[in-house]
Amino acid sequence: MYKYIIRRILVFIPMLFALTIIVFGLSQLAPGDALTGKSLADPNVDPEVYEQQREALGLNDPIYVQYWRWISSAAQGDFGDSLIFNGRTVAQLIEDRIANTLYLGLFSLAITIIVAIPIGIYSARKPYSLLDYGATGFGFLGLAIPNFFFGLIAIYVLSINLGWFPSQGTLSTPGITGFEAFVDRIHHMVLPGITLGLAGTATYMRYMRSEVLDVLGSDYIRTARAKGMSDSNVLYKHTLRNALIPIITLMGFEIGVLLSGAVITEQVFQYPGLGTLFLSSVVNRDFPVVMAIAMILGVLILVGNLIADILYSIVDPRIRYD
Amino acid sequence: MMKKNWLFVLALVLTFGIVLAACSEGSSGDQPNESEAEGSDEGEDEAASGEPQMGGTLTGAMDTAPAGVFNPIFYEEAYEDNILSFTHESLLSQNKQLEFKPNLAKEWEINEDQTEITLTLEEGVTWHDGEPFTAEDVVYTYKAISSPGYVEAGGIRTDYVVRLQGYEAFNSGETDEFEGVVAEDDHTVTFKFAEPNVTILKDVSFPIIPEHIFGDVPIAEIPEHPATLNAGEVIGTGPFKFTEMLDREQYVLEKNADYWKSEPYLDKIVWRIVEQSVMLGLLENGEIDFIADPNGVPAADYESVAGVEHIELIEQTDFGYQLMGFKVNHRSDADVEAGKLEPENWEANEDMGEQKIRQAMAYAIDRQAIVDNLLYGHGSVINAPIAQQFWAYDKNAVTQYTYDPEKAKSLLDEAGYVDTNDDGFRETPDGEEWVVNLNYPTGNKLREDSAPILQKFLEDVGIKIELRQPKEMTAYVEELTNDNTDWDLYLLGWSLGSGDPDPSGLWGADAAYNYSRWNNEQSETLMQEAMQAPEAFDQAYRKEKYSEWQSVFSEDLPALLLYAQNKIYGFNKRLQGVDPMPYSFINDPEKWWVTE
Repeated sequence: MYKYIIRRILVFIPMLFALTIIVFGLSQLAPGDALTGKSLADPNVDPEVYEQQREALGLNDPIYVQYWRWISSAAQGDFGDSLIFNGRTVAQLIEDRIANTLYLGLFSLAITIIVAIPIGIYSARKPYSLLDYGATGFGFLGLAIPNFFFGLIAIYVLSINLGWFPSQGTLSTPGITGFEAFVDRIHHMVLPGITLGLAGTATYMRYMRSEVLDVLGSDYIRTARAKGMSDSNVLYKHTLRNALIPIITLMGFEIGVLLSGAVITEQVFQYPGLGTLFLSSVVNRDFPVVMAIAMILGVLILVGNLIADILYSIVDPRIRYD
Repeated sequence: MMKKNWLFVLALVLTFGIVLAACSEGSSGDQPNESEAEGSDEGEDEAASGEPQMGGTLTGAMDTAPAGVFNPIFYEEAYEDNILSFTHESLLSQNKQLEFKPNLAKEWEINEDQTEITLTLEEGVTWHDGEPFTAEDVVYTYKAISSPGYVEAGGIRTDYVVRLQGYEAFNSGETDEFEGVVAEDDHTVTFKFAEPNVTILKDVSFPIIPEHIFGDVPIAEIPEHPATLNAGEVIGTGPFKFTEMLDREQYVLEKNADYWKSEPYLDKIVWRIVEQSVMLGLLENGEIDFIADPNGVPAADYESVAGVEHIELIEQTDFGYQLMGFKVNHRSDADVEAGKLEPENWEANEDMGEQKIRQAMAYAIDRQAIVDNLLYGHGSVINAPIAQQFWAYDKNAVTQYTYDPEKAKSLLDEAGYVDTNDDGFRETPDGEEWVVNLNYPTGNKLREDSAPILQKFLEDVGIKIELRQPKEMTAYVEELTNDNTDWDLYLLGWSLGSGDPDPSGLWGADAAYNYSRWNNEQSETLMQEAMQAPEAFDQAYRKEKYSEWQSVFSEDLPALLLYAQNKIYGFNKRLQGVDPMPYSFINDPEKWWVTE
């Protein structure tokens, strides 16, 4: 098992390396650079100024020179300075935002699991019941409504009209601390959390329902029932464990999905996390930031998959790695 | 099976019902406000005539967070300007006629040939940390912008210093002696320019930063210095101090009780970052108090916001304009490669290079209809690229290009562009198929919407238009700049400064921003004469030259100016004492107060 984990982690290295080349290459292929967009903002600024800055930043160097410069400092843990946020290092920018995104991601994952799994199980046990149809309808709707649209409706109804939840940001006022800040933070996360978790909830629910239904129809369940095992024992001891396997696979990917889904949700709720930073950095060609976030996403997805694989062997004793 | 399907449909209908109900709830929510609005005028007038009160907090909203460089010499965006306008001040400011007036400097004297200006500074002005403001701070600010390494560190404001005496020697590191700005004593400062300077007052009105904070900091480290980045450490002389921030969410300004003009009435001004689509909702329910620069209230929402009882709107002309440019000339591949702008090497663009074609297109487009329908009337049609607020703007000097499709057609006929094969579109004089491409960027919704409308107008007079796929701005600018391509028409917007109307930076033949690659001898001469000392010291003389220039521009027409959009500021009526300048909502914020 440990050998397996170490082997998997060693494989990460060439994969991440390939990722840097692809993302770097693509971000350089895109027309324009970080200063092109800036140059239109104020016609009183002599374009020569931007040319000098390009030269100073090394943006005029050949791509392999730039890549080498980037990878050699990144290998030492230095991701350089942002090209757009003058005066800030990439590490600072990410540090300021990554916690927000992780809180939101975990919060929305928690909502997803708490809501989706029980409903999924219920739907499978009472298929074609009214609640099952309701859940199915909700599931399709959840998948069909774009995140931003749902977010805007939630803001309009629950925040602006009813005033139950704040709609923007992570805190009401700067400077509050302790328990008060914690409650305020949760309060601010409710709407973006639900919005971000909506599609996930729908997916998990559908998966759970079909998996449980599937398992319930299998021979060993019939055997268990024939032995006279109680309904709840059949469900919790035999069915759930087997039905959870695909859900675990999904969750392995979920970390990456949550972060990328957060791009739009964070925008609508002006929730300052990695998502908004990623989006604005791509648009503004702030490639040091783009590279760093792409690397973080890459690592998270790889680690997520690894954890999923390890969890398999816990849930299903037949799966063994050596 | 039938039953199952029916249930499913029912579930769907129900869920959609909820969504629709949610939407219609919003629109019905606006109704009562509108009807109340009429009867409410008296009450509001009473409040307005009241005495200013001390205290209170005001909340403003902007749609994008500032990048975070709270230092006038290094900031780049309008969003940071929203904060710096409260915290920092310049020696001179501008009045509503855009004339320069005293601010930190109470009076000034300019020598005969306009190479020197001596300013007397206000006494008793202190920085937010209590240190006195002196002439040394002024010298330091200009010295910092002139220093070697300023541009490399990310600074872009060199336009304020390049005309100073000895700038080049100092900037290249040849000498440590900075002779451009000299402190005569604590409250007198002299600026010396290498040549007679027509824009002398504009050049001395840059916001001042404190020498006692930055004096010993190497220029390259200023952008990352705590006094540039952190709330509570940013020091200016303005009426409000920048005291607290929740990065990318909230920016808090607290009053500077020792402000030298007068103690501000408000205790606090909070900027909140709010998503554009949510902003108006929050203004209506009172969570935010004002929406101002840079984007203001969208024209499409004017009517609905105007109907809300507690909101007041101020509408004024903006300094920007949108244009449809003609690529009059293209550069050669070699010049683009080398990054050279040499008008003598340019090649005339077929068809677009012809004045008659450009004029015909101008007549073919009903710009008033675009303003009325796209901007809901909140804008104006202009014919020359000088902001209407300037003394230099002359609306009578220009060709008006009122919508006249018949005239457009006859101009095209005259030029030899006629439909020879009866496909509804005109052919070139050589009888070849004539297709004009129209390029435009994304990022400005109104501009994007205007592209197909322009296409329709032009096709109506028989010009076949190829509407290109819109490009994201950064990619678009790159192609717009490297114009060795086949581009004919391009859409673009400029937002002008309020300092001086000189258009040479955008329309001079060798200006990089002259994307039309327009090269007109008359225009070159006029722009140069208008900036030529000593005649140009006389504003009446400049006005005359610019009015001639506007006439040349509108006749030769390197670009058709589509519209100048109005800026619409919206604020809660509890905010009193608001008196926007043509260029900014934020003016004398120490006089703002709120009724409770």
